[in-house]
Amino acid sequence: MNLFKRLIVDSAYTVHASKSYQKRKRFFYNLLENDDNRYKKYFDTAMIVLIFTSIAILIREVKHELPFHLVFFNSYIISLIFFIEYILRFWVYGSVSQAIIKRYEYDTYLDREFKLHKAFRNIVHFKLTYVFSVRAIIDLLAVLPFFHELRLLRVFILFRVFKLFRYTRSFQTMASVLATKKFEFFTLAMFASIVVFVSSILIYVMEANNANSPIDSLYEAFYWSIVTISTVGYGDMVPLSDEGRFVAILVILAGISVLAFTTSLFVSAFTEKLDEIREVKTIEDISKINKFYIICGYQEVAREVVLALSEKHKHLIILDEDAGRVENAKRDGFIALNYNPGSIESYEKLHVDINTQVETILCLMDDDVENVYTALTVRSINKEIPILALLINESNRKKLTYAGVNEIIYPQELVGMIVKELVGRPVAFEAIHELRSENSNINIHEIIITKRVLENYILVKELENQRYRLVLLGIYKKHTGHFYFNPLDDTLLEDGDYILMIGNKVFLEEFEMHLNKKNES
Amino acid sequence: MKHVTAFVFGFNNYATEIIDNIIGEYSQVYLFSLDKKDEEHKKYNIKFFDLDDEWTEVENLITTESSIAFCALEDDAMNIFLTISLRASFDDLAIVSLAKNKESANKLEIAGANKVIPIVKTTADIISNMMNRPIATKVLHNILYEKSDLKIAQIIVQNAKGFNGEFPADIDWSRYHGIIVLSIIHKDMSKEFIYSSQTRHKALVDGDILVVTGYEADIAAFEKTIGRRHYVNWGNWSW
Repeated sequence: MNLFKRLIVDSAYTVHASKSYQKRKRFFYNLLENDDNRYKKYFDTAMIVLIFTSIAILIREVKHELPFHLVFFNSYIISLIFFIEYILRFWVYGSVSQAIIKRYEYDTYLDREFKLHKAFRNIVHFKLTYVFSVRAIIDLLAVLPFFHELRLLRVFILFRVFKLFRYTRSFQTMASVLATKKFEFFTLAMFASIVVFVSSILIYVMEANNANSPIDSLYEAFYWSIVTISTVGYGDMVPLSDEGRFVAILVILAGISVLAFTTSLFVSAFTEKLDEIREVKTIEDISKINKFYIICGYQEVAREVVLALSEKHKHLIILDEDAGRVENAKRDGFIALNYNPGSIESYEKLHVDINTQVETILCLMDDDVENVYTALTVRSINKEIPILALLINESNRKKLTYAGVNEIIYPQELVGMIVKELVGRPVAFEAIHELRSENSNINIHEIIITKRVLENYILVKELENQRYRLVLLGIYKKHTGHFYFNPLDDTLLEDGDYILMIGNKVFLEEFEMHLNKKNES
Repeated sequence: MKHVTAFVFGFNNYATEIIDNIIGEYSQVYLFSLDKKDEEHKKYNIKFFDLDDEWTEVENLITTESSIAFCALEDDAMNIFLTISLRASFDDLAIVSLAKNKESANKLEIAGANKVIPIVKTTADIISNMMNRPIATKVLHNILYEKSDLKIAQIIVQNAKGFNGEFPADIDWSRYHGIIVLSIIHKDMSKEFIYSSQTRHKALVDGDILVVTGYEADIAAFEKTIGRRHYVNWGNWSW
C-alpha cells in the first residue's frame, strides 16, 4: 500500500476513533434529523421563524422600499444560516471515515490490495444521493437568494416555504400517507394527461380556424383543457363550434371522473392510514411522559386497576393484542395500543427508556401463560424494572417467579386471607380495610423525608404529629430497608426515609404542608 | 354465640382457599358441590347438592345461630340464586358471598348476603394500593395477615376506671404500653378513629373495644392492664 493510501486509512481510523469528533457529529445529527432529540423542536421552530420572516420581507419588498439592514438580513444572514444548515446536513449524511475503513477491512480480509477509488466511489455515491434528494435540492434553492442582485433568483425565496416540509411533522405525515397511493395517483395522472393531450388537440383542430373563437393556438387549447378538466371553468375561453362544444362535453365528463377519483384516493389513503397516524401520535405523546405504568392486558382486573390508578393521576399505557379490548380502553379514556405485550418489538416501538420512564409493568391478563411470557419478554430487555403479575392458577406460581416477577397477586389466596380475617377479627379487619380504602376519611399516608424536611425536623419527637391528631405507625428506613414500628422519640430521621402516618385526610395534608414549610424562626 | 359450623358452597380454587383458611376456626366445615362427581374427591369431604331440590339435608345440618355459609359458586347467577335461597330458608344465617364484579355484588347484597367480597375489585384495590402506597400497603398487609411480628387485636376494655376518666385522644398509648391504638368501637358499635373529635370528649367505659396493633408481647401486656382479648359476639355481628 502506497504512502497516500496509508495516510488516508490512518486518517480515517483517527477520525473514526476520535470521541470528540464523533460526539460533535452525533450532536448535529440528532439536532437535524432525530425527532426524539429534545433540542430539535427548538431548532425547527427557529428555522420556521426564519422562513416566515424571509417571506414577509419578500412580500413587503414588492411595493415598498426596504431599509438596508432588512435586505441584508434576508439576503445574507438568513441565506448564510440556511447554507450552514445545508453543509451540516451534507456532513452528517453517512460517514466518510467509516466507508474508507469498511472498504479497507473488506479488501484486507480478502487479501487484496486496498482499492481507494472504490471507497471514494461509495462516498461520492451516498453523498450525491443526499445532494439529489428533493429535500436537499429545496435546501440549496432556498440559499440562492444570497445572490439577490440577480432579481430572478429572488423568487427562490419561495423555496424557503418548501423547507417548511422539513420542519413540520404534519406535512411529512400527509406526504407519507399520499405516497401509499403512488400507483393510483400515477394511473390517475396518466389518464388526466391523455385526456388533456387529446382534448387540447381536438379543440385546437375544431376551433383554431374559427376567426371568432378565442382558442387560437395550441397553448390556448391546452390552457382551456386544463381549466375544463379541473372543473374550474373560468369562462374566458369557450368553444363556439358544435364540434368544439361536443369536445367540451367529453372533457367535462372526464373532469368529473378525475375529480371524483382524486377525492376518493385522498379519502381512502387517509382512512387506511388513520390508525397508523394516531398510533404514531400516541407514541410521540408517550415518549413525553416522565413516569408511567405499563398495563399488559385490559380485562376485568386490569380495568379496575387502571380506573383506580387513574384516579390518583398516574400515567398509564395499556398494551393488549386484542383490538376489541384496546378499543374499550380507548373508550374509557386511556392511552392504549394494539401491541402484543409479550413481544420485544412492542417495547421497541414505544421508544421509551424503560429504566427511567416506566415505574412498574403490570401483567394483568387472565392467563398465566401470557403473563409468564410477558414477564420473560420484559426481563429479557430489562433486569431491573419491577414486574407485578396476576396469578390465575396456583400451580404456576413458581413459573412466574422464575420469569422474574417481583410481586405476584393470587386472587384466590386474597379471598382466603380476607375470609380468615373476616371471621376471626372482623372489627380489626374493617379498621385496616378502612385505612387502605381511598374512600374513607381516615387514611394512611407515606410521607417521604426530604432534605428540606430535615432542615427543620431531625428527631421523631419534633414531628408534632399528635398536634395534627395523627398516629405515627412507623418509619421505613431506606438504607436498611427495615420498617420500625412505633419508633422512639429520639429516633433519627434521615433523607429518603418514609414515615407512615394515620389520620384524617385533611389533617394529613396539613401535616405534610407543615413538614415542608420553612421554619420561620 | 360463636359460630361452630361453616358451610362452603362450590368446589373451586376459591372454595378450597376459604376452607384452608377457616378450617381451624370451626369445629365442623361442610363442603357442597353442584357436581356429583366431586363427591369422590380424596382430600375434601364433598357433599352433592342441587339448587332446584328441596334442601332437607342442608337444612338439617344448619343451625342459624351457630352456622355461617360461604357462597363461592363460580357462576355469579347461580351464586346469587344460592344466596337468596339460603336467605329465604334461614332469616338469621350469616352469609358471605363471592362476586366477580360490582353488578353481581349489588345483587348479592339485595339477595341477603351479610358480606360480599367482590373478587375483581378487591384484587384491583390491592394492586393499586401497592402502586400508590407500596410501603403502607405492605406494612398493613403484614399486620393484618400476620406475616410479620406485628399483630392487630381487638381488646375489650374491662378496667376503664384505670384511665381516671382521661379521654382516649389524650392518653399517650404508645409510651405506656408500646402499642398503637387505631380505633375504638363503642358499646353501641359506633366506630371512632383514636384521634377523632369524639374521642376528645368521651371517656372510655367498660365494654368499649380497642383495635390495637403492636408486638404480641406488648399486646398481651396491654390486655392484662385494661381487659381481655375480644372475640366477636355473633349475636351483634353485622357488616
